[in-house]
Amino acid sequence: MSQDKLFVIGIGGTGMRCLEAFTHLCAIGMFDNQEIELLTLDTDQLNGNKTKTENLIERYNRIKTSDSGPKGGTPNANTFFSAKLNLHRFWTEYSGSARANYRSLSKLAEGTPEKQEANKLISNLFLDQNSVQEFNLAHGYRAQTHLGSHLMYHALIESARNLASGKSVQKQDQELEIFMNKLNDAGKLGARVFVFGSIFGGTGASSIPVIPKAFQDFIRIRSGGKSTLDFSKTKFGSTLLTEYFTFKKPDAKQMSTKDDSVVADSSFFPLNSQAALQFYQNDLTVQRTYKTMYHIGWPIESKKMGDETETNTITGGEKQKNPCHITEMLCACAAYDFLTKSTGFDVEKAEYLYKAIEFKDNSFNLSFNDFVGSENKAGEVFANRLGAFFSLAHIVLSINGAAFNTDPKSGMRAFITRLEKQKIPQYNSIPDADCEEINEYLRQFAYTTDGGQQFFPGWLYQVRSTVAPGSFMFDSNAFTTNIKELQKIDVGELFLDKKNHWPGGGLMSDRFSKFVETLIDVKHEDSQKVNTTKEQFMAHIYNAITKSQNFIN
Amino acid sequence: MTSTFPVYIIAVVAALLFILIAALISNAIKFEGGANPKDPAKRKMWFWVLGILAPIANLLFGLFIYYFPEGNSYAKSKLITSIGIGSAITFVVYILVGFILSKMFKNGKLGNWF
Repeated sequence: MSQDKLFVIGIGGTGMRCLEAFTHLCAIGMFDNQEIELLTLDTDQLNGNKTKTENLIERYNRIKTSDSGPKGGTPNANTFFSAKLNLHRFWTEYSGSARANYRSLSKLAEGTPEKQEANKLISNLFLDQNSVQEFNLAHGYRAQTHLGSHLMYHALIESARNLASGKSVQKQDQELEIFMNKLNDAGKLGARVFVFGSIFGGTGASSIPVIPKAFQDFIRIRSGGKSTLDFSKTKFGSTLLTEYFTFKKPDAKQMSTKDDSVVADSSFFPLNSQAALQFYQNDLTVQRTYKTMYHIGWPIESKKMGDETETNTITGGEKQKNPCHITEMLCACAAYDFLTKSTGFDVEKAEYLYKAIEFKDNSFNLSFNDFVGSENKAGEVFANRLGAFFSLAHIVLSINGAAFNTDPKSGMRAFITRLEKQKIPQYNSIPDADCEEINEYLRQFAYTTDGGQQFFPGWLYQVRSTVAPGSFMFDSNAFTTNIKELQKIDVGELFLDKKNHWPGGGLMSDRFSKFVETLIDVKHEDSQKVNTTKEQFMAHIYNAITKSQNFIN
Repeated sequence: MTSTFPVYIIAVVAALLFILIAALISNAIKFEGGANPKDPAKRKMWFWVLGILAPIANLLFGLFIYYFPEGNSYAKSKLITSIGIGSAITFVVYILVGFILSKMFKNGKLGNWF
């Protein structure tokens, strides 16, 4: 694992969903011994994807927090929730009539008549006068990246100036400053920054090219010229995520208002992607400021998002809550590669990486190695940890019933009850509320139901559905959505490879009973660096599942 | 006249035999998942059911093997006392050995007995 301090940034709706996938990678335990600084960056403070991801990270932190330890816990190793995550949020302020669109934000109607005329001419040269300069910015840059890059850079510089002068400092400026201070400090020794965002949409596509330079200028302004970012020590990486979804085309009625004079049209996403790729291939700033760019795309027909019954195209806001997609998980795995690799940083210009996966009989077939490679047994580690977390989810949600009821004794609490009945009482002090936090995380990770009636897929199920019926690492029975089948699921048979099936236990036992015997036998270990009762509890369960899966820890 | 010594030996053997049966049954009961697993209660129930059956079995064994075939009334009266004491020994030994085993394997299935 890298000695550099790690930073991850999610920008825009797609960036947030990639950050959600990244958080799940942290939850399964892919970032041992790391304290990672996360930044959510958006123009749309109410965006549903942003809220969902931030809530997930906050829940992750509550799971790691104990009364006796620091907020957000401490970094651990070889266990679930091993990385410590620190969430920072920055959003651009486009509320109020003075900042609602480009025209008012740029104060085109202020100053001397000559200045106004000059500003108007230069604005009209780059930005369409009646649409791009007029639409409401509160829902992002709506695929207008020429405007977006300019405004995102402006927002970050404005924040630095406000902080330097102490005037008009907003909460989001303060949060950004904490993040930037950590980046500045870490950058002197070594830091890695990975940026999530699409290149075909609005906010992410606008921001990725300017982020390193904007951060460098932010630090320079904020420090009064005494400090700056050295791109040889602060290494930037990002995804070049091309289009993978479409949504309802906006109609003329929706676009008739000034606020919605520009609405992103997903039919242009392939064109946007093509243009963006040409830009990233040739732009000198991008080439010099980024070390690695991971090209991730969706080679078949894009999936339709959103509700067909919606009258208008959803431009943003709390309604924008798209289901998760495998490309986002691949972006999170690209971040894993960038943040853990030991070579590839001694380059003059950005390296563009891509890989291919098998597409056969009209479906994708994905193994663990397809996500994280096989170097340093990364695929095996990934299989162990994702498999363990998925097994835990099935035990908690189906066997222990947390997906079917809200009984405080169900889910994670049932593990404690079981251990207590076997005279292992050291976890009794963990409150029910803490167990419920883990239950809820697992519901978001895997699935839930409304009282055992209707099935609702969580993150992993949604991701898998984008490649179904192709193979997706685990046995297809592991992804059943039938509630009766879930209640009887054999969690010891999730893997395709039989060597990772849990031991059977003979005629008078079964896999789950044998697993409980293992749970009773194992303990947490010093090497896992778990201090609080809750961390020890999670490590204990992790060890039992890992041993049952026949992975050598 | 029949010696009462074997009656006490049989009482101890019966206790150990029933402990063995209780242990086998307890191990055959699978660990269950869920918020309210019933398996610990089942093991405890079987332990106490066999704890009651053990002295009864010892009593019946003593009666049919030693008491009824005995012709001497003095010996009969001595035997019935011994068989009664033997049954009590069976119960006490069963509980005592059960308690020791339960504490020895307190984290396992036998730990559910106490």
